[in-house]
Amino acid sequence: MAEKKRKSKEESGGGRLQKKRKNSKPKTLKKRTGPRLPSKLRKELDLVNPNPLKGGGDEEINSDEGELLANNLYEYEEAAPEEESKKNRRFDSVENFEYELPEDFKDENIASDDDDIEGEDEENNRSENSSHLGDEVEEEDDGRHMRMLQGITGMPSEAFEGKKRKNNVVVSEAYPESEYNPSRDVLEGNGRISIQDLLDPLHGKSGYSKLRKRMHQVERKSMSVHAPLPKADREKLERKVAYEQSKKDITKWEPLVKKNREAPTVYFDEDVDLGFSTVGAIASEFEPRTDFEKKIASLVHDDKVLEAHRQDGSRLLELNKISVEDVKERHNRIAKMRSLLFNHEMKAKRIKKIKSKTYHRLLKKDRLKTASAEIQMDPEAAKELAMKQEFKRAEERLTLKHKNSSKWAKRILKRGLDVQDEGTRAAITEQLHQHALLTRKMHSMKDISSDESSDDDDFDENSAGSDEDGASKLLAKAKEKTLEVLEEEDKIPDSGVLSLPFMVRGLKKRKEAAYEEGKLAINEFEASLKQMELGSGAENLKETASSGRRVFGTVKKQIQEFSNKDAHYNNSDSEDEFKVKENIEAANDQNNNLPKHVDIDAGLLREESEIGQDPIFKSFDDIVRDPGPKTTHEVAMFASGSWKKMKSENEANGNIIKPPKSVEPPRHNKDQGEVGGDSDTDDEGQMVDGTLSSGMKATYELPSQAELIRRAFAGDDVEEDFEKDKEEILKGENPEPEKPVLLPGWGQWTHVQQKKGLPSWMLEEHEIAKKKREEALKKRKDAHLKHVIVSEKLDKKAEKLHTKTLPFPYTSKEVFEQSIRMPIGPEFNPAVVLGALNRPEVVKKAGVIIKPIKYKDVNPHEGVEEHGQGGKKQNTKKSKGVGGKTIKKTNNLKR
Amino acid sequence: MKVKVISRSTDEFTRERSQDLQRVFRNFDPNLRKQEKAVEYVRALNAAKLDKVFARPFIGAMDGHIDSISCMAKNPNYLKGIFSGSMDGDIRLWDIASRRTVCQFPGHQGAVRGLTASTDGRILVSCGTDCTVRLWNVPVATISDSDDSSDNSMKPLAVHVWKNAFWGVDHQWDGNLFATAGAQVDIWDHNRSQPVNTFQWGNDSVISVRFNPGEPDLLAASASDRSLILYDLRMSSPARKLIMRTKTNSISWNPMEPMNFTAANEDCNCYSYDARKLDEAKCVHKDHVSAVMDIDYSPTGREFVTGSYDRTVRIFQYNGGHSREIYHTKRMQRVFCVKFTCDASYVISGSDDTNLRLWKAKASEQLGVLLPRERKKHEYHEAVKNRYKHLPEVKRIVRHRHLPKPIFKAAALRRTMTEAERRKEEKRKAHSAPGSISTEPLRKRRIIQEVE
Repeated sequence: MAEKKRKSKEESGGGRLQKKRKNSKPKTLKKRTGPRLPSKLRKELDLVNPNPLKGGGDEEINSDEGELLANNLYEYEEAAPEEESKKNRRFDSVENFEYELPEDFKDENIASDDDDIEGEDEENNRSENSSHLGDEVEEEDDGRHMRMLQGITGMPSEAFEGKKRKNNVVVSEAYPESEYNPSRDVLEGNGRISIQDLLDPLHGKSGYSKLRKRMHQVERKSMSVHAPLPKADREKLERKVAYEQSKKDITKWEPLVKKNREAPTVYFDEDVDLGFSTVGAIASEFEPRTDFEKKIASLVHDDKVLEAHRQDGSRLLELNKISVEDVKERHNRIAKMRSLLFNHEMKAKRIKKIKSKTYHRLLKKDRLKTASAEIQMDPEAAKELAMKQEFKRAEERLTLKHKNSSKWAKRILKRGLDVQDEGTRAAITEQLHQHALLTRKMHSMKDISSDESSDDDDFDENSAGSDEDGASKLLAKAKEKTLEVLEEEDKIPDSGVLSLPFMVRGLKKRKEAAYEEGKLAINEFEASLKQMELGSGAENLKETASSGRRVFGTVKKQIQEFSNKDAHYNNSDSEDEFKVKENIEAANDQNNNLPKHVDIDAGLLREESEIGQDPIFKSFDDIVRDPGPKTTHEVAMFASGSWKKMKSENEANGNIIKPPKSVEPPRHNKDQGEVGGDSDTDDEGQMVDGTLSSGMKATYELPSQAELIRRAFAGDDVEEDFEKDKEEILKGENPEPEKPVLLPGWGQWTHVQQKKGLPSWMLEEHEIAKKKREEALKKRKDAHLKHVIVSEKLDKKAEKLHTKTLPFPYTSKEVFEQSIRMPIGPEFNPAVVLGALNRPEVVKKAGVIIKPIKYKDVNPHEGVEEHGQGGKKQNTKKSKGVGGKTIKKTNNLKR
Repeated sequence: MKVKVISRSTDEFTRERSQDLQRVFRNFDPNLRKQEKAVEYVRALNAAKLDKVFARPFIGAMDGHIDSISCMAKNPNYLKGIFSGSMDGDIRLWDIASRRTVCQFPGHQGAVRGLTASTDGRILVSCGTDCTVRLWNVPVATISDSDDSSDNSMKPLAVHVWKNAFWGVDHQWDGNLFATAGAQVDIWDHNRSQPVNTFQWGNDSVISVRFNPGEPDLLAASASDRSLILYDLRMSSPARKLIMRTKTNSISWNPMEPMNFTAANEDCNCYSYDARKLDEAKCVHKDHVSAVMDIDYSPTGREFVTGSYDRTVRIFQYNGGHSREIYHTKRMQRVFCVKFTCDASYVISGSDDTNLRLWKAKASEQLGVLLPRERKKHEYHEAVKNRYKHLPEVKRIVRHRHLPKPIFKAAALRRTMTEAERRKEEKRKAHSAPGSISTEPLRKRRIIQEVE
């Protein structure tokens, strides 16, 4: 009953539409069912033709019956709805199938033979007769239809069957079973009927075998279609699939993109279309613009000429004719020009040949006249003339042409001026006058410098005339002067800028240095004076002394090395002994040192003759430093007793430890020694003697090396020196706060100040500053390291050249440093590699349109070859930014 | 005694022309030149300074519109042409070289919101708030065309009226389709008066749409519900949606890397995404101090330009967190649209002050023809600068920009805010049980959800 209801509902709904369609296409039906009559009509029909099976009350049969009747009555066949006919493709077939078919199917029992569904079969079975009838009719109908199709298309019937089979799908109930939607089984309360049952009666009919075959197929691969999911879920799934698909599609770009990213340079200027660049192409585009060009063009593009060109060209000659007058005129013109040119040439030649002095004089005069006139007229010429004059003067100064230096003048002078006639004399005087005129300026300039040179000359004479006496005198004089200077320096200026405290401090410092140097100089003078006194006979001694002095460092070393051996030389403190030893040592070193020292001595002497102090000091200092500083350095380190420790600290800290500081004490020490040595020979002997004597004592005990050294440096406290140095450096780097100074009237009222002394805030400030300094000192890296100075002075200039942190793409310091190690400039690299080194990351040309990327297959392993070409630039780029990341990820994917 | 004499072949040492350079031989032994690093450092420094000296990015303004410019489109086939649409419905075609209007396209009743040109540059598509899509024939550019500028207004090829106002349009690369953004994304064909396809996902209106130039069937759109949506034309369905905390004003695909696109967001940042991994941004490009209105990739794919509501135009590296360059002038107002020219050497911005402005993409680039030696010198300077860019002095000079006061202050304020936020987060983390609070990176923080 429910079915009936539904049907009637639909009928009432769709009746109008169907009627409308009725006439449009009655014959192209796929499925045929009874007409959809209004219920009223149907009732009437029922009345007219009461059905014998009405007791069953089944609608289907009714309708079937009705169909027959209807055929009679209306000749009606239901048209397929437009959606299904697919006449215009505005309706989506798939959707139609999904949305409408279930309902359609259920309500209207489509009676075509391809819809062999259980439900229908059951019905058919139930009302066997009628259904048989209907089936037969349908079968027949179908056969007809098939034949018709075959007739039209000329294709076998099987081709059309396939089309039909499409619909041959079992569709289960669209809605879950419930009381509103009972299944047919429930409704009819009947058992199942197999397809075989249905087929049996058809046995022997025309389409039976075909039907049976199809049935077999259906049975073999029957499938059920599930109920569609809710729309939202369906769409979600669709989107997911779409995304996955597009994801997969995009991924194909990966190797290409990766390759581009890794490439040191990307080129975008490759296919530049320059158009035609041949001469002909350019010429063909030429358009005459100026009058001349147009004229030429009109001649060239003349029809006749073109015609002639196109033919054999013989006519060109004809066209090439020129009139006789034209030729004559041209000839005349050229002849005239030539003759003019020739005349001019001849004239110039003749003038050039003239030797007459008067003529030239006149010519010159003329020229001068015009020149002078010109000068008055325009400043430019005047300037030129001035330049010329200047040049002449300079030339005169250079060549002294007019200073009687010519052959002629010399000859005349040789013969005597008095003997000459007046003309010659006049000429000579004239020449001298000329010279005077030309060189006047020069004289005026030379005046000053000549004075100086005379001074120099004096000095030179002095120096030249010096002998040994002179030398001694000079030395004495030098000594005096040095002393004088030293004394002079003691005076402290007590007014002006120099009296300011910091200036005073600075002066003091400088003075101390100068004083020391002065003292050294005096010592030196004395020494050399003594040497002078000893005379040249004592040269040997001097030599040894000097060598002793100069190779002091090495001497010490030798002492260390051969202390045991030396022991028996040092039996006594006598000078002889010392000398012997000295000599031996000298002999050892002579080969190396002697020539050098002699040389230095000579230099010394020369320099000593000069009064200037600084050069002496300088040279002296140089000499002092001369003997290998390395040895002294080592000794000092060793002597300080912390050699090993220092080294370990060195390594631990990794900081800038100032080696020169630790070198300094020994240098001082050595200086002292040297001073002693230089003061006089005896002193030196004693000094060395002292050390040696201590060694001598030890000969019996054979003291250890360390002991020896300790004794050797017993006098000078290296550690203390070092401490002092450190303190000084600390003061330099963390300066002590200045002591508050009472300035009357500043900071507080004067009377209060007088009573209380310094204002409290000043003291407080001072205290705070002190504390701060102490804290800063404590924080220093070398605060707890006794024998180390770690400088915390930052070199601002060097700081500029360091990065504070490791730049982003780099992962280690070494790599970064490596990346900037090699220069890339044209001065440091050959031109061949220069382009590759400096090439930018993107090479493009202005005015060239860059198209988006086009897909091409890239072998992901191909990149390796290019790496080699790219060089080291590649490495830096590789791990840059996002690029690096994706690359890594893709690698992971591939693995 | 054997005397060694330098022997040189005349062929090698004779110049072909008098202008040729004399051949110079150098000894490249590194022991001979030990100062090379110092020398190059100083050169880098000088190059950086010179860059600053020659930085003259602004070329000129294109004046003509009478209302603020809302959108622009470049002609993919013709370098000198750029289209601009304004809020009063006026569309103009400009000649960049002469900076003059070539012709106008009158017809829109309301604001023009979207402009795009077909790949062959023959057809211009415009759409606007008057619910129409108009197709125009682009006049073929010749030399004679640019001379007369009096009566060259064009008639539309077609006018399609549709149901809703439009917010944007973009043309497919090398195809016949274009997409409009409005209440939904519609795909149109040149020859149809109705959209051939329509995508709707959610009910919020779509603000911008952009086709992927490398993969022409893929397009991305941003909607006013703060979402980014990917569509695939082959599947004729949307693919994925990404919801962020703030709205995305514009999208641009990287033309050289079809999987990557960058979204210009309302929160002053740009976010680069890989279309395959939308759960986190590849890179966050920060520097603007107000909403980023438009974005366009350079055709080289190595950088992109953004225009912002803070009245500046910035150029970013495709993988750089901060901008390489900032452009501003006194008279430039809110920037609504920016474009890179097709040869990647100029940038064009359209702003509220009715002007289009033409900028150089590289501020200190020398225009005009360069001699090979000149070019080499520039390259060397660039390379040296690039090499020492990490050293503080060079870095300072290269990074320094003179900013308008409001922007400088706003940037400082933003910095303090983010810093404060960071500190707070840090403290919170420090004072709670270890592992209970996890900080998300900024690349993820702004993403709310990835919807399937």
